[in-house]
This record gives sequence, structure tokens and C-alpha cells, in this order.
Amino acid sequence: MVSPLREVRRGLGLLALGLGSCRAPLATEPLRAAPPGTPPEDAGIAIRCGKLLTLDPEARIFDPGMLLLRDGKIAYVGKPIEVPGGYRIVDRPESWAWPGLVDLHSHVQSAGWWDTNDMVKPLNPEFRVRAALDPGEERLRVADAAGVTTLFGIPGSGTSISGFGVLYKTKRDAPYERMILRDPGGMKVAFNYNPQRGGGDLGSTWCGLSWNLENLNDRAANLARREGPADPALENLERVHRKELPVLIHCASAEGVAGSVRMWKDRYDTVCVVSHGDWDGHFAARFMAERGVPLNHGPRLMNFTTLRREEKILGTSKAFVDEGVPNFSLNTDAPVIPEEEFFLQGSMSARLGADPYQMLQALTIHPADSFMIGERVGSLEVGKDADVVLSSGDPLDPRSRVELVFIDGEIQYSRCDDGQVF
Amino acid sequence: MRHGILLGAAFALLGLGLDAQGTSAPEPGAPGGSGLALRAQKILVCSWDGPQVVDEGILLVRDGKIEDVGRARELAVPAGYQVLDVGERWLAPGFVELHCHEAGESLFSVNDLNDLVYLANPEMRASASVEPGNHSLQMGLAGGVTTVLYIPGSGSNIGGQGILLKTAFDTYEEKLVRNPGSMKLAQWGNPEAWAMGVGMAFENWNTRDTLRRGIEYAKRWEAHERGQGPEPERDLMFDVFRDLRKNEIAISTHTQVYQVVLMTLTMVHGEFGLPVFLDHSEIGGWLAAPIAEKMGVAAIVGPRSIDTPTRGFISWARNKHEGFRGLAAGWQELGETQIGFNTDSPIVPEEELHVQAAMGVHYGFVDDELQTLRGLTIIPARTARIDARVGSLERGKDADVLVVDGHPIDPRTTVWTVFVNGKRVYDAGRDGRRW
Repeated sequence: MVSPLREVRRGLGLLALGLGSCRAPLATEPLRAAPPGTPPEDAGIAIRCGKLLTLDPEARIFDPGMLLLRDGKIAYVGKPIEVPGGYRIVDRPESWAWPGLVDLHSHVQSAGWWDTNDMVKPLNPEFRVRAALDPGEERLRVADAAGVTTLFGIPGSGTSISGFGVLYKTKRDAPYERMILRDPGGMKVAFNYNPQRGGGDLGSTWCGLSWNLENLNDRAANLARREGPADPALENLERVHRKELPVLIHCASAEGVAGSVRMWKDRYDTVCVVSHGDWDGHFAARFMAERGVPLNHGPRLMNFTTLRREEKILGTSKAFVDEGVPNFSLNTDAPVIPEEEFFLQGSMSARLGADPYQMLQALTIHPADSFMIGERVGSLEVGKDADVVLSSGDPLDPRSRVELVFIDGEIQYSRCDDGQVF
Repeated sequence: MRHGILLGAAFALLGLGLDAQGTSAPEPGAPGGSGLALRAQKILVCSWDGPQVVDEGILLVRDGKIEDVGRARELAVPAGYQVLDVGERWLAPGFVELHCHEAGESLFSVNDLNDLVYLANPEMRASASVEPGNHSLQMGLAGGVTTVLYIPGSGSNIGGQGILLKTAFDTYEEKLVRNPGSMKLAQWGNPEAWAMGVGMAFENWNTRDTLRRGIEYAKRWEAHERGQGPEPERDLMFDVFRDLRKNEIAISTHTQVYQVVLMTLTMVHGEFGLPVFLDHSEIGGWLAAPIAEKMGVAAIVGPRSIDTPTRGFISWARNKHEGFRGLAAGWQELGETQIGFNTDSPIVPEEELHVQAAMGVHYGFVDDELQTLRGLTIIPARTARIDARVGSLERGKDADVLVVDGHPIDPRTTVWTVFVNGKRVYDAGRDGRRW
């Protein structure tokens, strides 16, 4: 497939990289005079933009494009049409529009590393990140200024099961109920490496880790087959076994990836997404593809061991995509990679050989689809949440600047009004 | 385009033939070989104050040097030159990296670079640890870096002498551009690890005292060379100051935070009159930009691209408390015109030098007149006093040329071919891509 972005990149002249302009700050933009009898001025927002990347199943791109946002949802996306009465018009003929980015592996919901990992017991299916979500966290403001609008905020990987994360929007100063996309959003599992604390307890080897997980999962699976919750601590894990909630699995290396797939897909048939998958994890890529298990890749995007052996850095994003892993997505593991550099994971994957458009999908619709929120976010389609980013250029190009960010149809960040965050 | 590929293929075969035979005639463009004419849609020249871009251009290479550059319809290709048409791809000068710690090879790649016995070691030479074929330099070459200043670390006040090297080639002699290539000064922010209790004021005094002694030594030689004094006793510790005083090399300075950058400018350059340039220059260092610009001192920023919005330790973000302050942008906004980028490799991998420029733009650096590419080429070359040889695609310079398929700083752009001294030292088509 010829990447639509590639064509655009060729056209990037030396002088076409100017700063986003503040010609038309929304706050002072004159409202269009509406004919008599039209609804009030706040009927919705009409965005007239340049290149519009829908990321929809047909990979449609409109240039110029238009979006109508109403009641927090997208009411129209496509070629410019006549703006219905009562809509405020955002006129950005030179801006690109694209869906807000979706990062499934993020730890910035609470200040720093604190409150992300209770490591008393190895299995904590009863824990909920809800208890530690801080809506005032400054890194959320930086994230939305970079066009990252949906996060799966999860506990760390210090224990085998560290709890249930929240899917939330990076809204500013919004209370819990307005941030949440789904809570619990899904479960976080750490399959190997980090949970091996080596304290002499059960779980310091992969054998113990696996036994721990299977022992608990068998109990939860049995409960899930019966009516009614019998164990409050397993309430959410039961929902995982009923395929109501997905699982994000921290793992690395080929045997870790393959082991995760065998346990969570083959044995328990959950909706699971393998996360990281680094080091030589790509050797298990075909196995993942055969089982239909998606990968959420990062923060590392390359295999080092190939460097000295083959004089070559292996771009692992490309390696996984080439083997046909479905819904390949990227992550930051923020704060490991700062949330505002999520786009750069796509750029650097492209640098290391992956197709730029597929990497754009890996930042948007693929993570959304793989985590059962594809009906809400990840692309610009009618009926989806109005999470829209306007930028001065290609989202994968570090030189582009995010100008305007809408979440649920509301402006969260405006470069003109809020200033440049970075 | 197809034309170009065919010629390229023929060229590749020729190259392989040469490799196999070893001692056969040098390849076109290389020293001793026939001429080479590179034809490209766009040539990014990057001259200091002349033309920056030639569209539909031709670059003539002979004996490892650039013979001429110009519009294809104005510049005739001499008879006997091999023409290589790269089609829609562009030509750019090889990148010049002024902060590299990885050209040797030992236990941890960089541990030959910092002897921490004394606090000032102007006599130590990085040239003692150069390893031709170094892995990091090979990766850098595939990323478009053709010249590096390989320098000692910042564990002591004066770490020693850097060396300017080409990233290509298998022998020290062929790699060498200039030795010494610089004197490495670390004013503050690492040398305090040398001993308990050493701080900003002591380091400042130690630097000042060493510079003073070095200059006195160099002056005695200068007097002798003018016939005004006896031949001084040779002192290897201070020999490098003779090169500095002749302005043949500069002091490469690990410097950061405003007050330390200020001392680099006003003390090292102003008071002692030594040629100097600023490395790192972060954590509010950009506030000294007006003084640096007035003195004509370059700032080669990196590996960090930003001042972070932390209020406690770093309060220099001023009115941008809650924002990131792009360092290159900060220097640029306050008037510095000589801004370059570095990796401090292996801190940032050598092959990601140009990503440093891209991130500079991401954080606000204005790139409307090729400032990014200039910051990777002519500005560092001039800063290291080697702009007569490298840094731009101009007549008489070394033929260090990149063939790229887009803007050279875009992370998605691929470097397809690298010529150094007119030799095709890396070719993604011939050698395979390195990532």
C-alpha cells in the first residue's frame, strides 16, 4: 500500500515548515450571523481544515476537509459542505486534522512513580487505579497539548497482577466523572521479568509466576461460569473471563510473548493485548499473528542484539507488522517516554523501516480497536467522540505543531490562547 | 529516476569489482580516480554566506575534493567523468558532530576517555584511544555523520585534547582530520565528582589558573619564534595552548547553567582571549545568548533539547513555568546566530544527530532558512576551524556528500549513500541498510 503520508512528505519544501499561526484565535473569532429562526449559537462547532486524516477503515483523507462536532460527538466528516446554522466556525484551511492519539500503556495518572505499584502480594486483581487518579496532574496537560487524548492509566509491573487501570481522557481540570472513558478499562498483567523480585518468595522464577497466575485464573474462570460474584476480590477478574474487559500484558522476549499468548489467549481465551514485546519478542510475532493477538509495542522500538551480530539495528515495529500481527499499536510507557512524545514513537518506528501510515494507525485506531474502545475513539467517524487535533503538519513530523485539541467536542488546548507548552 | 537506478546499479558493480581486486584503479571521485558528476534534483549547499540551495544541480568531484557545484544547465560535465544521477533524491553535506565520546573501544566503550587522577589534564590526548572501524562511528556514518570531534569526558576540569576524525575508513591516518582537534574544558557540573568539596568557585579558580599557566607557556614560545627569547623547555602539559593561541583549534566547553556559561564567555574568551565554543549550554545557559552572539561564539546544544518546567531546581524557564523551553529555540530567540546540535554520543546514539535538530524544531527552533541543516554542517565546521575542508558542498572542500530522500533532518528520511573524501563509503543499496 502506498502511504498517503509519503506523498505529503515529498512535498515538504524547505520553507513550508513555518510556525503555526495565531491568526484566528477562537476566543475572539466573530460568530457567523445566523438566519432568523436558527438554533442558538452553541449548536456545535464546524472545523474547516486542510488535510483531514480520518483513520477510518477506508483510510480516507480529505483535502480540504470538514468536521462538524455536536454534543461531544462527530456529526459530520468529509468534504466541506455548507455549515448548518448555529455552528461556530473554526477556519483553519492550512491545518491538518487527525484523531486524538490513544496510548494504552501510561503511568502518569498519579504523580511520578508513587501510587502506581503496591507490591505486598504478587496477585492484586482487587486493586483499582481509580483510587489514585489525579485529574490535576500536570503531565496530562502536556499530553493533551501534544494531541494525546486517551490514556489507559495502569499500575506498574512490579507484581504479576497489579490491578485494573482506567481508560480516561486527558481533560484539563475535569472531575473524575468527566474524564473517564471506561472504568475499569482493563486489567494489567506483568507476565515476566519485573515481577520477579527474587525475594525468595513464590514467583521469583517463571515457573512460580505462571503457577500463581493460572491458579488464580482457574478460580476466576470457574466463578465466571456461575451466576453472581462470589468473591469481591475477583469481581473484575471474572469480567475478564467473560470477555467484558481486556487485558494488557507486560512481557518481553520471544518466550515471554509466546507464553503470554498461550496463557491468556489459548488457555483462557481473554481479550488480550501483549505489551512491550521487546528484546527478541519479534521472533514470536508469527505465533501472535496466527493466534490473532494484538501487540502494543514500546517504549523500546529496536533490537540491540542484532547490532553487533549483523551490524544492523532491527526496527521491531516493522518486524511485528511484517509478520501480520493484528492491530499493531505503539506506546510510551510514560513517564519512560514522555507522554508528549508519543507521536515520536511513530516517527522513530518509521525511521527504523515501518510504514508511516501504519504507524499513524498504531497511534490511533489500532490501540482503540484492540482495547474495545474502537466505537468511541481512534478515528474521525460520524458518531464517535469528538476528539480532534489540528496541527501545522504531518502528525509524525517532529517539526509539526499541535494548534488546537478538542476532547468530547470541547477545546482542551489552544496554542494561541494557552501558549506553547513545548 | 529509473535512469538513476540503472547508473547506480552499474556503479555498485564497479564498486564491488574494486573491492574484489583490492589494488585496481580508484573509483571515480576518489583520489587518483577519474572525475565523478553527481546530478540531483536538489543540492543543499550550506555555504557560510553564499547560496544555500541549488535546484536541478550538478556536483563535480575529483581527487576526493569538490571541484564545482552549480545548475545542471549551466555547469558542463567534463569529458571522462562518470555521471551518477540520483533522480529525485537530494545531496547534502556530511554532518559534523562536535561532541562525540565513542570512537574508541574498551570495556564500556567510553572508559578510555576520562582519567580522573588530576583535576586538569590539558596534556591528555583522545587520539591515544581511537579505534578505526569503531562500531558507533559506522552507525553514525549510516546516519549521515561524516566528521566527529572525539573528546574526553567531563570528569575533570580539563579532560584533555579532542581529535577531529572522519567516521569512515579503516586506518587512523585516513580518518584523521586534525589532532589536536580541540581542548576539552568542563567548567562545572561533573568535575565536582573528582573530589569531595570541589565546587563551582574552586573549579573556576582551577580553570583560570591552568589557562593562565598555559598561555604564559605559549607566549614564551611565541616570543622565541619572533627571535625575542631563548627556546623554552618543552612542556607537554601545555603544548596545546600553542595551537589555541594560533586559533587553529578551539576549546570545546562542557558548560551549562547561566552563570557558568557566562564565565565561559567572559573569562575564557573575554579575559584570556582563547577561542572557545559552548557545548550543552542548557539549564538556562541560553540566557547568555546576547553576549555569545556579540563575541561570535557558537552554541552547540544538546544532548538535552529542553529545559524542563521544574520550578525548584531550574527556575530559568521564566514566564514559561509550565512549559518546556526548547534550548535551540531559546538561543535563537535571544539572537544567537551560530547554533549547532550535538549528541554527546553515546548519550544520544551517533546516528541520531539529525533527530536532535528535528527535536530542536519541535521545541520551537525556527527553520525557515535551513538553520537546522546549517547547525549540523557549516556551523559546527566553522566552529571547529575546519570549514576550509568540510561543512558545505563548495569548491575545494572534501567531497563528503550525503544522498538523501527528503529533508535531511526528518527522522523518516533515509540516507542512501555517503561519500567521504570522494569515496562511496556507505551505500544502503550495496551494503544493506543499517536499520
